[in-house]
Amino acid sequence: MSDAVLGGVCAGLACRLGVRSRTIRVLAALASLVFGVGLVAYVVLWIGLRRDGEEASIARRIESQRHASMLVGWSLVIVLVLLLALSRLNLYALSPYAWSLLLSGVALVAIWRGASPAERAHLEGVLQTVPVLGVASVRGWRAVAWRVAPATILIVVGLHILSQVGGVWGGAVPAIIGALVLVVGVLIMLAPWWLQNVRDLSRERRDRVRAEERAALVAHVHDSVLQTLTLVERSADNAVEVRRLVRAQERALRAWLFAPDLIGVVTSDTGSFADQLRALQDDVERDYGVRVELVVVGDCPGDQRIGDLVAAAREAVVNAAKWSTADEISLYGEVEAHVISVYVRDTGVGFDTDTVASDRQGIAHSIHERLSQIGGSSRVRSTPGEGTEVALTLSREVVAT
Amino acid sequence: MSRPRVFLVDDHELIRSGIKAEIADDVDIVGEADEVIAAVEMIGERRPEVVLLDVHIPGGGGVRVLRDVRTTCDDVRFLALSVSDAAEDVIAVVRAGASGYVTKNISGSDLIDAIWRIRAGDAVFSPRLAGFVLEAFAGGPGSAAHEVTSDPDLDQLTARERQVLRLIARGYAYKHVAAELGISPRTVESHVSSVLRKLQLSNRYELSHWASARRLS
Repeated sequence: MSDAVLGGVCAGLACRLGVRSRTIRVLAALASLVFGVGLVAYVVLWIGLRRDGEEASIARRIESQRHASMLVGWSLVIVLVLLLALSRLNLYALSPYAWSLLLSGVALVAIWRGASPAERAHLEGVLQTVPVLGVASVRGWRAVAWRVAPATILIVVGLHILSQVGGVWGGAVPAIIGALVLVVGVLIMLAPWWLQNVRDLSRERRDRVRAEERAALVAHVHDSVLQTLTLVERSADNAVEVRRLVRAQERALRAWLFAPDLIGVVTSDTGSFADQLRALQDDVERDYGVRVELVVVGDCPGDQRIGDLVAAAREAVVNAAKWSTADEISLYGEVEAHVISVYVRDTGVGFDTDTVASDRQGIAHSIHERLSQIGGSSRVRSTPGEGTEVALTLSREVVAT
Repeated sequence: MSRPRVFLVDDHELIRSGIKAEIADDVDIVGEADEVIAAVEMIGERRPEVVLLDVHIPGGGGVRVLRDVRTTCDDVRFLALSVSDAAEDVIAVVRAGASGYVTKNISGSDLIDAIWRIRAGDAVFSPRLAGFVLEAFAGGPGSAAHEVTSDPDLDQLTARERQVLRLIARGYAYKHVAAELGISPRTVESHVSSVLRKLQLSNRYELSHWASARRLS
């Protein structure tokens, strides 16, 4: 019985007669072509024969259930009335197969009501794989009915119109209409099944791509961290180098964890205001071995003036990294409705703004000039022994125009 | 004043021992835990004054610990520690009741200072947290218009609070903030505490939907 496809009738017969089940199946299919005789025989046997390992046939079980036998009886009556009505209307196209098909339909209702739980589970499994019923039956029989009924009507009407072609109406128009109706019917019938297949496929593909990406990332991270660990071990005596390596690795990990989309995309010249500041932070931390504590509030797209503002900020940060002796520099950027500001602050040695060495004054000048060229302003405050703060502001109105 | 009684919650052994090494001389470490359930139980037993709480720990994260402890004893104060820069994580622990947030690369002396301040009932804002708050409260009261709040004052910062936060974000210590604004350090503390209260109680859209707001900006 494990060989069963539908009711297991063919497999059972084959077993009894000692031939291959495929032989029986082919015979049954051929017999079905002859006015559906094979089909009717199949369901009758299905109902009448005992399933392997069960004590009662479906017919017995229906007999013993009042409700089920009533249901089957009434469906039989309705179908007979329907068949008589059809033959009255002279719809001969339907008649040869209509009897066997409709009677088999009643038989299927009977089978469904009378099936044992094990058989029902098997049938449900079969239903899932049938195109028309499969997917929708998950959502309930009502949904199936709503789809199958109009689709069947469309298909029948389409076939009917096509069968008239060349008859009373003739010509191409009915042929086209009939074909269209037929196609629409078939589409409605099969659409959910097809959609589900497509959906499954794309989900599979997406999952696979995700898994591959994750694997690549993990490999990448492991490789990079292992390399850094080796480097750290090798330069264990060089505190500055160790700190530099550790920070570079930390930044790389953070980038992978929090902004994987930006890797390799943002440099100091592209990206938004915040992206450019982040790039500036990365560069200075890497090159000078100081920590740059970056806080950005708000953001706006980058342009020429933003680029110049960030370049001026970079000079200020590099200057602090070189001269202040502080091991941390605060970099703060804020985009407000009308003003963009950047503050660079350290708590290092500071200097007297009046008597600074000419090289540092030069930097202050260069920052100031950059800013005034783009219509911004800069201010340097420094107290010897306490630290330095460079404030850069740029109004946004000019940015807009 | 006696030394603060401190409890450590972090799932990384290395981080715990590192923090202990840095602060053990100045505070009493009464216990440590590496996951949520143990942490909640032991904090209930040992009643520390300040809990250093890792944001990301197995079993529900720092937020779980905060919520569970808060139901039984509300005299315990929390300082959130994290390596994460994700605003939604930080805002989530602060809104669950943490009195402050610092990153794990904070220096030992700064951490000790923060612990003392937390114990005294003050709020501790790292520059980054100040930045997050400024961002969340940007745009004035208008962007919270569709939210139902009992107290509209909760949904915006005063000009002074904004100034204080901006200076903290620029890297100023509290005493430097006070000097810059010409006010007493005590006043700075009270401004920061008031911001913390707004952060915890406000229904601003940006705060409750931080994650999506972040992605949009």
